[in-house]
Amino acid sequence: MKALTRSDLYLEEEQKLWRKMLAGDVTAYEHLIDRTYDLLFHYGTKFNSDRELIKDCIQDVFLGVWEKRNALNPEIPPKPYLLASLRRRLHRLASRLRMDCMDYYNESDVVFDLEFSAEYQLIESENDRILASRMTEMLNELPKRQKEAVFLRFYNDMEREEIAVVMDIQPQSVSNLLQEAFKFIKSHWKAIVSLALALPF
Amino acid sequence: MDRYRDFSLGEFVWDKPFRNWVLNPTREDDETWQNWLAAHPDKREIVERARQLVLSIRPANASLSNPEKRKAVERIVERLETRHLDQTEASRLPWYNGRAVRIAAMLVLLAGLGWMFWLRHQPEQIGYDQLVAAANAEMVEAVNTTAKPLTISLEDGSRITLDPGSRMSYPAHFSSSQREVFLSGKAFFDIAKNPSKPFFVYANELVTKVLGTSFTVRSFADEQEVSVAVKSGKVAVFSRDEPGAAAKQSSRDLTGVVIEPNQQVVFLRKSVKITKSIVPEPEVVAEAGTAPHLEFDEAPLSAVFSALQSAYGIDIIYDKNIMDECPITATLTEMSLYEQLDLVCKAVNASYKSIDGRIVVEGKGCRNN
Repeated sequence: MKALTRSDLYLEEEQKLWRKMLAGDVTAYEHLIDRTYDLLFHYGTKFNSDRELIKDCIQDVFLGVWEKRNALNPEIPPKPYLLASLRRRLHRLASRLRMDCMDYYNESDVVFDLEFSAEYQLIESENDRILASRMTEMLNELPKRQKEAVFLRFYNDMEREEIAVVMDIQPQSVSNLLQEAFKFIKSHWKAIVSLALALPF
Repeated sequence: MDRYRDFSLGEFVWDKPFRNWVLNPTREDDETWQNWLAAHPDKREIVERARQLVLSIRPANASLSNPEKRKAVERIVERLETRHLDQTEASRLPWYNGRAVRIAAMLVLLAGLGWMFWLRHQPEQIGYDQLVAAANAEMVEAVNTTAKPLTISLEDGSRITLDPGSRMSYPAHFSSSQREVFLSGKAFFDIAKNPSKPFFVYANELVTKVLGTSFTVRSFADEQEVSVAVKSGKVAVFSRDEPGAAAKQSSRDLTGVVIEPNQQVVFLRKSVKITKSIVPEPEVVAEAGTAPHLEFDEAPLSAVFSALQSAYGIDIIYDKNIMDECPITATLTEMSLYEQLDLVCKAVNASYKSIDGRIVVEGKGCRNN
């Protein structure tokens, strides 16, 4: 039997709040917003740097959820659903803005952009600091969609299917994105490690 | 864990279970990894390097201060409430034409139909009398009509203390494969150990299976809840009607909802739901008669939690990486578990919840204080 982990407990609790909220419980609604707000905000700012705009969009997402609460499935995990709604909203917003400027719009105009950074004071060995800085550079060089998949998978503990919901693609495409990212990381990793070791300290 | 023996630094850094341990450690994870490291001391260095790399490389996040977030969350809830008001004052139609009235009429109709259906299909709540009648052995009944607890000794050496107003039926002689008794009311069971002959307590819809331990069952016919609380050892509880009940009963292991000292399960008879929680007043688990040592002087949080954990036998889950920096100086003797938790959590600015028979502590740590 798999031991119940802390993140399982967290997920269970989120699901509970989601169910209660869909049943009309305002306190659960507020708790759910509170718990997911940071994630949504950080995810949103990867698409657009306008903080107030992101906050407005998150507000619309939650007000929309409340309005549609009778039609929503209480058993779907809330986080991927919320992230996906936010993503859709940001895309729609961008398309409206483009139209106003009489400009040509396509999906790829709204892109996920993320900078990885390294906190060097957490690393003891000088060698590993160099390693970390190369690795950060490498992550930042990943194509944007791969970066988004890596961000959701390795920094937000999401499963393949959940990432598929958020990015609105097939689970197989998620696997492909992750695989490509890893091919890239692996091919550069060897060079980085040998480089770091070759430097004289 | 074997697959980690030949892992390279890079493989560790991108291994999800490894990252989870580093970024969101649970007590189980931590134990598993510490054990593995103890068995493979040559891997300590590479694991530590991988750990530092995982911790240091993070996505750059725009900062969101707590007050700013609070304001945003409150704004959403406020908007929701004003929207509600708008809707209620929106339209002034004749009363019988309003949408609410139509829905109400529909609901009344549905409720009526539902009630008729319910009357026809009211499931019978199975009670003590039916259960005893269905047993095929010759039964003896003990009834406590006095105002004091009544202790009964069974032929296998088990002792059962019946509360006033409670009764229990048991076979004159136990069968060769199992020991079965039926209870109505509340009783404390101290069961003689015999793993080859499990002991079953049938109390309304709930079956409690034990190999040898002590626990309390409360099951009055006129109450809507049936509960089982454990004092020592382990017991398994399941509903008599659930699909796998027969298998759970015959299995050699304890399956179903397993509860340990200071945990209880409550079965809601109406909704047929079993929930697990911590007993209202957890007691120190008497282990070899030694009182737990609960005085701490600048001790790390993990020492405090592990002392409480072994004193009460209740799991305490917390983020060791973040919170172990908080030193605790406290004397926790002669307090209840909840008072102890209140005190410790207050000291480190954390909060706790009881989830599924465990304590989960959440806090931001003390690094910035």
